[in-house]
Amino acid sequence: MAEMWINMGPQHPMTHGLWNLRVKIDGETITEAEPVVGYLHRGWEKLTEHRMYPQIIPMADRLCYGASMSWSHLYCLTAEKLMDIECPERAKYIRTIVLEAQRIGSHLMWLAALGTDLGSYTIFLYPMRERELFLDLMQNLCGARMTYNYPRIGGVRNDVPANFERDFTRVLNHFEKKLKDYEALCDESTIFRMRTEGVGMLTPEDAKNLGVTGPNLRGSGVDYDIRRDDPYDAYPDIDFNVCTRDGCDAFSRYRVRIDEMYESCDIIRQAIKKMPEGPHRLKPPRNAPKGKSAWAHVEDPRGEGLMYIIGNGDDKPYRLKVRSPIFVTVSASPVMLKGYKVADVPSIMGSVDMCLGETDR
Amino acid sequence: MAEPKKSRKSPKPKLIMARPMAVVGRETFRTSRGLNRPVTVLYPWERLVIPDGYRGRPALVMDKCIGCHICEKICPTGCIELIEVELPNKGKVERPQVNLGRCMICGYCAEYCPKNAMIMAPEYELAAYSRQDLIYDPFKLQYEDRPGLAVDIFEIKPSEIGMGSKGKSIKTAPPGMRDVPALEDKKCISCSKCEKVCPAEAVTMIEVGKNEKGRPIKRPKFDEALCVACEQCVDNCPKDALSMKEVK
Amino acid sequence: MADLYTFIMGIATWLMGLIGGLFDWLTLHGVGDWFRSPGPIAFVTVFLVALVVFIVGFLVSITLIWEERKVLGRLMDRRGTQVGVLGLFQNFADGLKAFIKEIIIPTEVDVWAYNAAPIILIGASALLMGLIPMSDSWTLANINGGLLLVFAIFSVAPLAILVGGWASNNKYTIMGGMRAAAQLISYEVPLLLSLAGVVILVGSFNLGDIVHFQEANTWLIIPQFIGFMVFMVAAIAEVERIPFDLPEAEAELVEGWMTEYGGMRFGLILLSEYIRGFVACSIAVLLFLGGWSGPSFIWPEIWFIVKIFIVFFVWIWVRGALVRVTTKQILSLGWTRLMPLALINLAIAIGLRMFGVI
Repeated sequence: MAEMWINMGPQHPMTHGLWNLRVKIDGETITEAEPVVGYLHRGWEKLTEHRMYPQIIPMADRLCYGASMSWSHLYCLTAEKLMDIECPERAKYIRTIVLEAQRIGSHLMWLAALGTDLGSYTIFLYPMRERELFLDLMQNLCGARMTYNYPRIGGVRNDVPANFERDFTRVLNHFEKKLKDYEALCDESTIFRMRTEGVGMLTPEDAKNLGVTGPNLRGSGVDYDIRRDDPYDAYPDIDFNVCTRDGCDAFSRYRVRIDEMYESCDIIRQAIKKMPEGPHRLKPPRNAPKGKSAWAHVEDPRGEGLMYIIGNGDDKPYRLKVRSPIFVTVSASPVMLKGYKVADVPSIMGSVDMCLGETDR
Repeated sequence: MAEPKKSRKSPKPKLIMARPMAVVGRETFRTSRGLNRPVTVLYPWERLVIPDGYRGRPALVMDKCIGCHICEKICPTGCIELIEVELPNKGKVERPQVNLGRCMICGYCAEYCPKNAMIMAPEYELAAYSRQDLIYDPFKLQYEDRPGLAVDIFEIKPSEIGMGSKGKSIKTAPPGMRDVPALEDKKCISCSKCEKVCPAEAVTMIEVGKNEKGRPIKRPKFDEALCVACEQCVDNCPKDALSMKEVK
Repeated sequence: MADLYTFIMGIATWLMGLIGGLFDWLTLHGVGDWFRSPGPIAFVTVFLVALVVFIVGFLVSITLIWEERKVLGRLMDRRGTQVGVLGLFQNFADGLKAFIKEIIIPTEVDVWAYNAAPIILIGASALLMGLIPMSDSWTLANINGGLLLVFAIFSVAPLAILVGGWASNNKYTIMGGMRAAAQLISYEVPLLLSLAGVVILVGSFNLGDIVHFQEANTWLIIPQFIGFMVFMVAAIAEVERIPFDLPEAEAELVEGWMTEYGGMRFGLILLSEYIRGFVACSIAVLLFLGGWSGPSFIWPEIWFIVKIFIVFFVWIWVRGALVRVTTKQILSLGWTRLMPLALINLAIAIGLRMFGVI
């Protein structure tokens, strides 16, 4: 058969979100790939130019609805840098706990999506069942299950509820046993390893040159984690390991995320123990000085997220720019796909953890 | 800080598929044996328990609302509009109308309402058959008030950092927690518009003298205990003589 | 249960007697006598027996679908179907839904081939059901080459799949059809080789004889364990279930070669997949697990169906636990791993027969 271009998407059961992956195939081998994004563009950055600073927080939740606390927290960090305020200690610890719980929730959703891509609905339903536990924890804390609207400029919305420590400890103990189940279903299954080992190779040089960050970078052996290298919130006081793997293939990226879930459980336990008493919210100023700009970056579950804000003298920003990690990784996908078969596309793109909300904004 | 430890070992497969089959088999027998049930909730015959503080739809406690427009200003999607309704004991007043089709259930209206008149009701079955049905006028928006449904803001001021204070509620605290309007004396023309539009009756016009024509010069005096920082006076002053002064 | 054939012959005789009596009443005695003669009665008997066997096989296949949905549900920590008593009516609801759907045929398809593919598939599958005996008395066709005939008809499926995939005029279906054809053809060889061991030990292709051999000696799973394993893997690949369902991989190709089929055509294709699964399970039971032999307090037909359900439960268990295998790995698995194992199995069977063990 001659070479032909195939459109995988935009309406497709595999793609997690609304994007188009055009691959040029020769029989079953991929020779070129071209991702086409932009179907979900909502004009987010323009909308924020007409909203007051507190009003942008629930909008930032909707940037990536799978890891929403991470993005509204990033916006609050940026705005706090712009207005030169620092949130109280207790708020920093609460934010850390909630961010790590969000990281576990996001990685569980990634694992569920990887399961459907590979054809096993069991690997879809077991992580979703555990994710319900974390969503229930968040529901007790702030009242919503998905788009939380919880961080505020200057702290967090409300203090922790009663039984916070007891609930978290129970959930984490239950969850660590279930992580062993996921390892049994995925790691210890020869067929899963056959599907993911040796596909989607991304060398460290390519990853660094293309700007890939997060678990995709650490799966290629590069040791870079913003929580350790440029810490924010309560991370300077917490002991944790940065998980890297040297395989450079889809299996290493999968394994890095499982390791990160174990580490997040440790981080949450340490943070709960070390949390000080005190206030949880600081009153922010209404206006930001004109012409002043600030930026902040965090370790989003998918990579390095960064926001850059310019103040306008009144209570609305002049410009707010978002750097999304998956937008950069999608442009690295042709490098990962070339030379493999069409049947490998779900395992490769599944191991990258696409989230279209933040790509298209 | 972190010290590099050995990364976790990844378990190896045995017998091609022994472990996945064992895990899955154990789950099958666990969910079918005896009184164990699967984790499915048979909605709508069974429902989950709603926790406290759950954010359902916005709701209005009609008696407490003063029509201060704060919820209209703070709503990120602009779905709240204050419309004129006729109430039995108060006459023609402005009360909020929420377009639930636009609402993103962020909870800001409940959080910033100074009288706790807007609350988040734990209702989540909100489907309707047309877009018109989704616009809840103030009477449809009502909900029975219960303790625990109101949202409050506990803040500390920047001057209180490190003093050991736990934060005071800005809704019920004594004055000094909320921003107050400040007057620029040169621009004021004594029109008393601010006294008329204030929903909390916190502005009184004080006579400070007489001008050359013999008419009284009045300046507004703001009662910090009653003022809810709704900025109605600031928005409606014809000469832009008022601005909000932030507390530090 | 009395012999099915004689039972139905009695009914047919009564029925033809009625019709002949009607013609007698019309004073057309010649026609009436013709209706009562043995030839037409035998024809009607065979027709009615085929109908009964088809309906029973159809119902058992549908019950297999029910078993799959319920067990898969519990395995994934959720409930299976809930429609009706214990969820038994779900499949009839699905069938009704398939009936009342709008028939959409894409414009550029090859109409004859497009319509022929599901017909070939369901026709072959229905024919197979008639060749499977459920007990000594429930045998529609007692053919001396029964086993060979079953697998000859079983192998018609790749033709239908290729034709259907090609006729749909869609890049994805062509790829799905070719993958399916490659997979099915390459797994025919281990499938048939694993049966060769059984045939050597028993000495006959007749399915009834194989079961009598097992009743007399031992269930053939014990000397032919490797053959049983090879047969199970090859049968799961032939029926296109997970872990071998790349032709219908939803993640990449929507529904594979069946994408352009809608309504009852799709319903028939899905039904034929499960009928082929039923046939493959029943061959496994007949050849390796003793067929209908069992303690005599339950009818042999019921034993047969119970054993089929147990084999299918293992298939569902495998489906729940494993992920899909890619085409390259499927083909390499078939040729490099299963074939040598099947040959070893054949050598064991020949050895056992030569040294008079069995």
